[in-house]
Amino acid sequence: MGVGLPRLVGARVARREDPRLLTGQGSYVDDHRPARMLYAAFLRSPHAHARIRRIDASAALALPGVAAVLTGDDIARSAKPVRAASKTPNVKTTSYPPLALGKVRHVGEAVAMVAAESRYVAEDAVERIVVEYEPLPVVRDVESALDPASPVLHDEAETNLLVSREFARGDVDAAVAGAALVVRERFRFHRHTPVCMENRGCLAEYATGSGALTLRSSAQCPGLVRDILTDLLDMPEHLIRVIATDVGGGFGAKASLYPEEIATCVMARRLGRPVKWIGDRREDLLATTHAWDEIVDAELGLNQDGTIVGLRAEVIADVGGYSIYPWTAAIEPVQTISFLPGPYRVPTYRGRARGVATCKAPLGPYRGVGRPPAVFVIEGLMDRAARRLGLDPAEIRLRNFIRDEDFPYKSPSGIVWDRSSFTESLQKAREALDYKAARDEQARARAAGRWVGIGIASYVELTGIGSAIPVSPGMPVSTGTEAATIRFDPAGKVTAVFGVASHGQGLETTLAQIVGDEVGVPIEDVRVVHGDTDASPYGTGTYASRSLVLAGGAAILAGRSVREKMLVIAGHLLEADPADVTLAPGRYAVRGMPDRSVTVRQIARAAYSGAKHLPKGLEPGLEATRFYDPYYGTASNATHAAMVEVDRATLEVKILRYVVVEDCGRMVNPLIVDGQVHGGVAQGIGAALLEEIVYDDQGQLLSGTLMDYVVPSACEIPMMEVHHVETPSPVTLGGFRGMGEGGTIGAPAAIANAVADALAPLSIEVAELPVTPERLFRLTRKAGA
Amino acid sequence: MKPPKFEYHAPTSLDEALDALGRYGGDAKVLAGGQSLMPLLNFRLARPAALVDLNRVASLAYIREQDGQVRLGAMTRQRTIEFSPLVAQRLPLLKEATRWVGHLPIRTRGTIGGSIAHADPSAEYPAVLAALEGEVVARGARGERVIRAADLFQTYLTTSLAPDEILTEVRLPAMPAGAGYALEEFSRRHGDFAIVGIAAVVVRAGQRCTMARLATAGAGPVPVRLRAAEEILETEGLGEAAIDAAARRATELVDPDADIHASADYRRHLAGVLTKRALTRAIGVARG
Repeated sequence: MGVGLPRLVGARVARREDPRLLTGQGSYVDDHRPARMLYAAFLRSPHAHARIRRIDASAALALPGVAAVLTGDDIARSAKPVRAASKTPNVKTTSYPPLALGKVRHVGEAVAMVAAESRYVAEDAVERIVVEYEPLPVVRDVESALDPASPVLHDEAETNLLVSREFARGDVDAAVAGAALVVRERFRFHRHTPVCMENRGCLAEYATGSGALTLRSSAQCPGLVRDILTDLLDMPEHLIRVIATDVGGGFGAKASLYPEEIATCVMARRLGRPVKWIGDRREDLLATTHAWDEIVDAELGLNQDGTIVGLRAEVIADVGGYSIYPWTAAIEPVQTISFLPGPYRVPTYRGRARGVATCKAPLGPYRGVGRPPAVFVIEGLMDRAARRLGLDPAEIRLRNFIRDEDFPYKSPSGIVWDRSSFTESLQKAREALDYKAARDEQARARAAGRWVGIGIASYVELTGIGSAIPVSPGMPVSTGTEAATIRFDPAGKVTAVFGVASHGQGLETTLAQIVGDEVGVPIEDVRVVHGDTDASPYGTGTYASRSLVLAGGAAILAGRSVREKMLVIAGHLLEADPADVTLAPGRYAVRGMPDRSVTVRQIARAAYSGAKHLPKGLEPGLEATRFYDPYYGTASNATHAAMVEVDRATLEVKILRYVVVEDCGRMVNPLIVDGQVHGGVAQGIGAALLEEIVYDDQGQLLSGTLMDYVVPSACEIPMMEVHHVETPSPVTLGGFRGMGEGGTIGAPAAIANAVADALAPLSIEVAELPVTPERLFRLTRKAGA
Repeated sequence: MKPPKFEYHAPTSLDEALDALGRYGGDAKVLAGGQSLMPLLNFRLARPAALVDLNRVASLAYIREQDGQVRLGAMTRQRTIEFSPLVAQRLPLLKEATRWVGHLPIRTRGTIGGSIAHADPSAEYPAVLAALEGEVVARGARGERVIRAADLFQTYLTTSLAPDEILTEVRLPAMPAGAGYALEEFSRRHGDFAIVGIAAVVVRAGQRCTMARLATAGAGPVPVRLRAAEEILETEGLGEAAIDAAARRATELVDPDADIHASADYRRHLAGVLTKRALTRAIGVARG
C-alpha cells in the first residue's frame, strides 16, 4: 500500500447506496415493466397434504385478459424437477416440482400459475381454476412423522426421515457418566421466517430471436440461480442472465432457488412475452422458506470446577415438505450439531441430527443457520450448570473457552477455529455492562420484588467459507470462490464488478473502499457493479457471511494486479524504475520526489493509447479479473449481554440493556458493522420474544399475516451498545472475517438466559423460544407465582 | 392480494350515499378510513358488489358539544380527535384511547365511525363507547335512529346496523369535570390491537366513588361493561382493597376466547391486572 494515502478501509464511510434507496430510486424487480408484460399469480394449495385428482382451468382461460394457465404437468414437459442432491450418506434426495405434481405437501404450495394482463385479472382467474383434491392424512409434526404408521410425504424416500448425521469425538458416554454434574434439557426453538421488507418476486423475459432468457429476481444468489436454470431448462449457460441489482433484504431466505422463479421462466419462454410475479405478504409467509424449528435434547457433563467433560445432543429439525436447492434439508439440523460445542473446549461430544419431513413450508437458511438454536442450547446449558455449581455465568464461560494457546483448535465436529477473541470479548462485555454494578442493581431490584435478570451468550461462527468446506454439508455445488474484475476507463475512473449480490449489506460501499485503497483512487471514482451474471465474472452470490471475505479478497487480488501494471506505466511515463514509483493520493510519484508524479488519469489514458505510450511489450488496457478462494474460511465471535425485566403482572419482557462485543476481524467500515449488528440483534429479539410460525393440527398456517406473525417494530428494540474487538483473521486476505449473521445468533440465547436469570428465584428455566407472555404466564403459574 | 371487481361510488352528500347504498340490497360496503376494510378486500374476505366511499361527504366530519354530549361526525379522523381541544377537555378518556389506536399513518386515515362500525372487539373506540355509555346515530332510508352502545355490538365484527344504514355520528356524554380516567392496554407490539384493554372512569367524592365505569377490549366477542366490578367501587370506595376486589371481579366477568397470542386464562388474568392498573391511574388523576 502506498504511503500517506488516506485509508478507506477502516473508515466510517456513509453507505453510498442509501441516497438512491431512500429516495425511491432503487431498481427492484417491481420497478421494471417491459412492454407487453404479463402479470402472474399462483393458485396455492389449501390442503396440507392431498392428492391432485384433476385440474380444470377452462373457466380461468375463458376470462378476458388471461394469456395462459400452467399446471404441474405443463411445467414437467418444459423443465426438470428440482432435486437438491447430497453427497452425504443418509441425506435423501427428493424432487421439488415447480408446480405441484400429483400431490401437495404443504398449505401454500404452488399448484397452478396464471399469466394475465393485470394482477387483478390473474387473481380472478386463479379463483376460477377448479382443482379436485383427495385429502391425505396430515403429517403435522416431527414426532408423528417418525411414527412408522405415518403417511410418507415422498414415496421415493420411503421415509419422512430425510436427514441423519452424527458428529462424535471421544467416549462421551463414559465422560458424562463420570461427570460430577450433568445438566440436561429438552430445548425447543420454534419455527420462524425472515420477513424481508421486499417480498420475493421475479420477472422473466425470453428473446425469441436470440433465444436468450433474462430473469430479474429478488434473489441473493444470481449465479446459483443461473447455473441451475441452465440444467432445469436445458439451455446453454451463456443464454441465461440473472439480475438481482437492488434486493430488499434476504437474510438467507432468498438464497435458495424457488418454484416461482422456474415457473415464471417457463411461462415467459412459452408465451414469448415478459412475465412478472410479485409475491404478496400472504405468499411470503406461506411459501418463503421458514427457519430453525428444532427440538434439541442435550446433556452437558462437567467437573466440579465447571470445566466441560462431555456434550451429548439429539437434534430433530422439522424440515417441512421439501428439500430445498442447493442447500438440501440437511442445512439446518447439521449446522446445529456442527456448532453446538460453541467456543468451548469440549473433549468428548456426540451430536446426532435428524431432519424430518412434515406438511409445512420448506425449512431453509435464515441469518445464523443452525447457530441460533445451537447457541440457545449450549449457552442455556452453561447457565444451568453455573447455577447448579454456584458459579457466575461469566466465570464458567471463562473456564471453558478455547484459550489463545489452543488455536488453531479443531472442534469436535471437525471445524478448525483460527485465532479468535473469546475471552477478550467476554471480558470487554463485562466491562461495558459494568457487570458488578449491574449485578448490584439486579440484587436491589430483586429485593424490591422485581424480576430482573442478566444473560450472557458467547458464540463463534464459521464465515467466509472456502472450497474445502461446503456451506451446507453434502450440497451439490461449490461455493468456495468469488471473483472481482477491476477495470479503469481511459478517464481514470474504476468499475469494479462482482459476482456477489448486495441485498442490504452495503457492499457497494465496503467493496469500493477496498478497491479504492488498492488502486489509489478516492471512493467517488469507484463504481461497484454486482448482482448481474452478464456483467460479472463467475460467482454464486451473497450468503453465509462470505461476501466481504471472498469478494473483498478477490478485490485485493485484482487491485494488486492492476496496481502493478499502473506502477510499470507510471515508471515509463516518469522515466523512472517502476520499483521506485509509489502510490500517493490520486497520483503515482517517484519515491522521495513528490514533484515527479503522474495522475491516475494520465496512467489510465496511457494504458489505452497504444504502444507508443507504453513500455515495450506491455499489453494495452488496464483491468484484471482475479478469483479468490480462502480454502477453509475463518471465524467471527462475539459476546452478547442482556439485562431484562419480566413484568410480574403482565409477564412482558422488557430489555433494559443490550451490549454486544463482536470481533469480525479487520473492519472495513465500522458504521456498517454496527448497522449489521443492530439489524441482526433486532431479528434475534424477534426470535426470542415475539415471532413464531404456527400451524394447526391440520397443517393450516395460523400466523399468516403480520398481525399474527409478530415482527418487532422500532418500539420493541432497545438502544444497543456495540463494541468491537479487532483480531485480523490470520487466514484471509485483508484479515476480514465475515459478519452480518451474528446479531441473530447471539440475541436469542442472551435474552433466554436473562429471562431465566430473572426468574431464577422461582426455579424457572427457559427451554422454549420465543418466550412469549403466554408461555411465561404458564411457567410462572406452574411455579406457583 | 388484489380485490375482486366492485363498483365504486364517491358521493358528496349523505343522501347520495344512502341512495347508492340502497341500490345494492345489502351487498355494498361503506368505506370510511379504509384501515380495516381495504385489507379485507385485498384478502378477498370481503367481496361486496360495491363500495360507497364517504371520504367526500364533508358534512360527516366535525366535533361539537351539544346537550351535554360531545358529538363526533362519523368521518372524523382519529388524528383530529387526538388533537381536539374539545375532546381533551370533555372526553380525556377518548383522547387517551386514541393514542393507542395503531400508528400515526393509521390514525391519519382512520375514523371514529369506521372503527366503531367495524366492531373489532379488540379495538379501543368500542370500549370507550361502552365505558361512557355513548350512542351512535344511524341514518337509513327509513330515517334516523339512535342506538345505545349496549345495543350496538352483537358479536365479532357485527353490529345492529342494518345493511342500508350508515353510522353518521358518535355521541359521548361529556365526562364530569374532575373525573379520573385511564385506558390500560396490553399488546405484544406497540400499535397492535389489544390482547386485552381496560377503559376506566371514576368520579370521586373524597374516598367515596360516586360513579365507576369499566369496559374491556379484547376480552370477548364484544366490549364488556364490568358492571359488578364497578359496583364494588361504588359501594366500597376507592381504597386498595376495593380496587383489588374489583380487579378480581373483572377476571370473573370476562369470558375471553383464545388465539395464537393468548389463552383465555391469560386474557382473564390480564383483565384483572389491567383493571387494577387502570383504576389506580384513574383514581390518581381524579379530583374531588
